[in-house]
Amino acid sequence: MNTFAEIVQSNQAWLCLDCGKCSSVCPITINLVGGYTSPRLLVEGAVNSGMDRVLEDPLLWSCLTCQRCSEICPSGVQFSEFIQDARTLAREGGQSGECTHSGMIQSWMRLMTDPELEQNRLDWIDDGSKTAPESEVIYFPGCLPYYDTVFGKMDIEGIEIARAAVKILNHLGIEPMVLENERCCGHDPYWQGDMDTFRKLAELNLETISQTGAKRLVTTCPECAYTLKYTYPEQIGDLGLEVQHITELLAEDENLQKLFPNNGSDLYSVTYQDPCRLGRFMGIYQQPRDMIQNLGYQLVEMDHHAHTSTCCGTSCWTNCGQLNKKVQSDRLKEARSTGAEKLITSCVKCQIHYRCAQGDPVSGQEIQMDIQDLTTLIAEKI
Amino acid sequence: MNKATEKEKIILFTCNWHAFSSLETAGKKNLVYTPALVPIRISCLGRITPGIILKAFEGGAAGVCLVGCPEGECRYQNGNQGAQEVFEESRNLLRLLGYNENLLQYHLIAAGDGESFQKNVDQLVKIIQDNRKTR
Repeated sequence: MNTFAEIVQSNQAWLCLDCGKCSSVCPITINLVGGYTSPRLLVEGAVNSGMDRVLEDPLLWSCLTCQRCSEICPSGVQFSEFIQDARTLAREGGQSGECTHSGMIQSWMRLMTDPELEQNRLDWIDDGSKTAPESEVIYFPGCLPYYDTVFGKMDIEGIEIARAAVKILNHLGIEPMVLENERCCGHDPYWQGDMDTFRKLAELNLETISQTGAKRLVTTCPECAYTLKYTYPEQIGDLGLEVQHITELLAEDENLQKLFPNNGSDLYSVTYQDPCRLGRFMGIYQQPRDMIQNLGYQLVEMDHHAHTSTCCGTSCWTNCGQLNKKVQSDRLKEARSTGAEKLITSCVKCQIHYRCAQGDPVSGQEIQMDIQDLTTLIAEKI
Repeated sequence: MNKATEKEKIILFTCNWHAFSSLETAGKKNLVYTPALVPIRISCLGRITPGIILKAFEGGAAGVCLVGCPEGECRYQNGNQGAQEVFEESRNLLRLLGYNENLLQYHLIAAGDGESFQKNVDQLVKIIQDNRKTR
C-alpha cells in the first residue's frame, strides 16, 4: 500500500506547472455544471493540501481515466494513474464512487472471485465457430457473454463480436482455445481502486491462462488487452504469453494478405472512435484505420481523433449521470457532423454507452447513428 | 431441516401491496413458514434490479424469491411487468455465473390470502433447497 506522498511522487503530480492545458481538454471539466474543478486544480490541491483535498474533489470519482490530460501535459503528470492510486487510498478509508446499473456489474465481478465457480460461458459457440480444446492461441472474449445478456435489449453487438472474432481467426487458419472458466480481467475493479477484487481475479486468470501452455492470447476488448498486457505484469505477474488486441494480430503482414487480398471497392463512408485503452494507452491508432480502408470504406475523421479522441463518457461502471450523457451526445453529434453513415469502434463499452445515450426519449433522436464494432465489420466481408 | 440449511438465508422481496398484505395475514393467522426466509419489503417489485439480486447471492443468500401483485393489479401500473423482465435477465446472469437458475423464484400472490402465501412460499423454498445441492 502506497502512502499519499508516494503516489504524488510516483505519478509526477509534483511536477505540475499549473499551465492548465489539461483543464482545456478534460471532457469532464468542460461539461461541469455548478462548481468547477479540473485535473490541474486537483493536482495542485493534492500537492499543497494533501489527501483530504483530493477526497473532496468530484473529479476523484468522475474522472474517466481517459489519459486525454496526460497526453497533452508538458510535465508528464500521470493523472489517470494518480486518480487510480488515490481511489485505492480513498477506498481504504471507506469511500467509493457510485456504481452504475445498481452495482450489478461490480457484483458479478466479485462473484467471479470464488475459486470454485464453474461458469457456463461458452454457450455462444455455434456450429460456425471452430474452437479447439488445446491451441497455441487463446481467444479471450472477456465479459461479452454477460454484456450480451444485460445490454442485448439495447441493440448492441455483444456475443456477435466474439463469434466474428472466431470466424476471422478460423479464416486465418487458427482454431483458438476459448477458456471455460476465464474470469473478468479485473480492469474495472482496478480503475475503481478495488485492489482486493482485482488481485483475486487476476490471480485466478494467471493460473488458468498459464496452465494452458498457449503462446498468444487474443482479445476483442481493449480493456482486457491493456490489463492483461500491462497491468498484470506490473501488479500480479507475467502471463508468459503474448497478449494482443485483435487489431494487432490482423495488422501482421501475412494476416493482412489473407484478409484483404485486394483493396475493396468504394463503399459508404464511416468514422472511427478510438477507445481510450487501445489508442492513448496502447498507441494503436493506425491499424484499425488501415483495416477500415482496406475493406473499401471511406474513412472520414472526426475533429477529435487519434491522440485527441474523446472518451465514450463513462469509465469502469462508476458515476454516470447528466454530465456523462452530455459527453456522449456531444461525441455522437460530432460523429454525425462528419457525414459518415456509420460509427465504427473497437470496444464494446463505447458501443454500450453510445447506444444508451441514443435511447434517451428526449435528445436521442438528434444523435441516432449506426454503430458497429470493427471485428464484425471485418467478419461480414469474409 | 438440518442445522446447515437452517443457517442459510433465503431472501424474499415482497412489494408493499398484495404480496405484503398476504404475508401479514399469514402472520396474523399464525401460519408458520420456514424460518430461513428473510422478507424485505419494498414499495413495488418494479424496484428490483439484477444488481440487487446478485448482491443477495454475493452476501451468501441460498436463494432469492420475488413476490408481487397479480397481473394487471400493480399499484404502479406496470411494476410487475418490469419485475418479470428483471427476473428473466437475472436468471440468465445466474446461469452464466454457474449458479442454478432455480435459486431465483418469482411468484404473484393476491392480497390478504395468508394460506396461499404460506403454501406458495413453502413451495418456492423447497425448490430452492432442492436445487441448492447443485450449487
